[in-house]
Amino acid sequence: MSFEIKTEGVDVQAIMGAIRKRIEEKRQGLYSDAEIREIAEKSLDAVLDAHEFNPDFVKDFRAQPSRWNFSFHEQTLYESSRGAVGRALHGLRRLLQPIQKLFWNPNPMISALSRQSDLNAYYAHLLTNLAVELTKLNLELQELKNRQLALQGRVEFDSRRERTLEQMVVFREEPEKKGPDGA
Amino acid sequence: MVQRYGLDIAGGAEYHCRIVAEHLARHAEVEVLTTCASDYVSWENHYPEGVEVLNGIPVRRFPVARERDLRRFAQWSRRVAGPHSDADEERWLEEEGPLSPALVEEVARRGDGYDHLIFFSYRYYTTYHGLRAAPERAVLVPTAENDGVHRLRLFAPFFRLPRAIVWNSVEEREMIQEIAPVHRMPGDVVGVGSQLPAGLDPDGFRKRRGIAGRFLLYLGRIDRNKGCDELFAFFLRYREETGSALKLLLIGKPVLPVPEHAAIVQLGFVLDQEKWDALGACEALVMPSRYESLSMVTLEAWWARRPVLANGRCEVLRGQCRRSNGGLYYAHYDEFRESLSLLEADAALRRALGENGRRYFDANYTWDIVERKYLDLLGSLA
Repeated sequence: MSFEIKTEGVDVQAIMGAIRKRIEEKRQGLYSDAEIREIAEKSLDAVLDAHEFNPDFVKDFRAQPSRWNFSFHEQTLYESSRGAVGRALHGLRRLLQPIQKLFWNPNPMISALSRQSDLNAYYAHLLTNLAVELTKLNLELQELKNRQLALQGRVEFDSRRERTLEQMVVFREEPEKKGPDGA
Repeated sequence: MVQRYGLDIAGGAEYHCRIVAEHLARHAEVEVLTTCASDYVSWENHYPEGVEVLNGIPVRRFPVARERDLRRFAQWSRRVAGPHSDADEERWLEEEGPLSPALVEEVARRGDGYDHLIFFSYRYYTTYHGLRAAPERAVLVPTAENDGVHRLRLFAPFFRLPRAIVWNSVEEREMIQEIAPVHRMPGDVVGVGSQLPAGLDPDGFRKRRGIAGRFLLYLGRIDRNKGCDELFAFFLRYREETGSALKLLLIGKPVLPVPEHAAIVQLGFVLDQEKWDALGACEALVMPSRYESLSMVTLEAWWARRPVLANGRCEVLRGQCRRSNGGLYYAHYDEFRESLSLLEADAALRRALGENGRRYFDANYTWDIVERKYLDLLGSLA
C-alpha cells in the first residue's frame, strides 16, 4: 500500500476515506494501454485455461503466430523437411506432378488451406483485440457501477434526512394550552 | 415468544431468543412460547406438541397448521413487491408463516398471566398476530434487517403497538423510525451477549486441522443470502490480482456450492470451542452479508481481538465498524481489495482494530450489561 495508517487512535472512517481516495486516484489515472493489455491477457488466460488447452499450445499461441499457425503455398504439399534427401524428394515429386494431376486436382485444397491459414491469423488477432476492448468496457462498467452506488448512497441519505425532517414537524409536541386564568 | 426454539437451532433470532431467555431466567421466571417447527423454510412440525424443559426453561410448543408452500410464498412475495392491497399483505404474512393459530390463541387466552411478553422477530405470522393479541404486555425485539419487508404497510401501525422495543443496533432503530413514529416509545439498543470461552487455542486449532499459513475466516451459513457468492468471487479475484497467499476458511453449513480451489478451505460444522480457536488463529473475520440486524460473529471476533472486514452495504455492519473502530468495510470489489490488502499487510493495524473491537464488546455486549438493560427496561414498564 502506498499510504500508512497510524495505529494509535485508529479511526476507521479516516482509513476508509484514505482507501476511497486511493481508489479514486487510480480511477482518475485510469489504466495505461500496457495495463489494459496485461489485464486482458489475464481474461484470455481464464478462457484458455477453462478449456484445458495444452499449455505448450498456449505458450506458442502467445509467442509467434508462425509457431502455431501453418503457412501454406503452392509447393507446401510437395516439400519435405529431410535436408538434402528432402530436397531430392521435393524435386522428384515436382517431376511427377503432371502425372499426379491425372488422378486428382490438388489446387482447390491448396487454395482452401492457404485461406484457412490467413483466417487463423486473423481470428487470433481479432480475439486478442476483442479481449482488450472487453476489458476496457468491463473497467468502464465497473466505474459506472461504483458511481451509481455512490449516487444511490447520497439519494438514500437525502431521502432519510427528508423523512426525518418531515417527522420532526409532524410529531413536534403542541404547546400546552393555558387555562383562562393563565395557569 | 419466537417462531422456532431448540438447542439444535444455531444462529439467527431463535438463538438470540434462547440465550436471552436463559440469561433472564437468572432474574425471573421465564417460559418460552413457540411452535413445533424446526425447519425455517417449511415450518414442518418436528418437535412434539406440549411442554418440555430445555436448559431449565419450560418451552410450550404449538403445532403449525400448514407448512410453507415455497412456490405460493414466492408468488405472494412478488405480488407485495409491486402495487398491492392491504389484504395482499395479510395474505403474504400468512404464507410467510409459521401459521400457528393455536399459538396466537394461547397468547390471547393466557397473555394476562405473564408480566411481560417478549416477542422476537417482527416479520413472522406468530409475532404479528401474537403481539396484536396482547399488546399491553408486549416488548418487541424486531431483529429487523434492511431487506424491504419492514416497508410493508401492515408493519407501520404494528410497530406502535408494543409497550417497548429492544433494538439490536442504532441503525435498526433508525430504519424502523423511517416507517413508524416510534421515537418516543420506551426502548433501548441492547443486542445480545455471547457464550464466551475460557480461552483460545489458535496453535492447537492449526495442528488439529492441519492448517498452515494465514487465513481469513468466514463463520456462519454458507449461503447466497449471506453474500457468500460475492465473497468467493472477490476473494479469488483478490488472490489473482495481488498474488496473495491468504486462504479463506469457511465454518458453517453450506447451502451454496463452494468453488473448488486450494485457497478455499471448508470445515463444515465445528464445536463451539473449535470456532473460538479458529477466531483466535485467523488474520481477520470476513462478514459479507448485506442483511444483518446484529452480527453476533462480528461481536465474537472483536471479543477475540480480531479485526473484521464487513460488507459496508449493510448499514448495521458499517455502523458497528465505525463506532467500534474495530473493522474495515467494502461496498464493491475495489474497496474489498484495498481494505484486505491493508489488513493483510499491516499487523499493527490488525492488532489496533482488534483491541478496539474488544473494548467495544466489553463496553456494550457483556452479559452483565445486556441483562441489566433488559431488566431496567422491563422494570420501567411495571
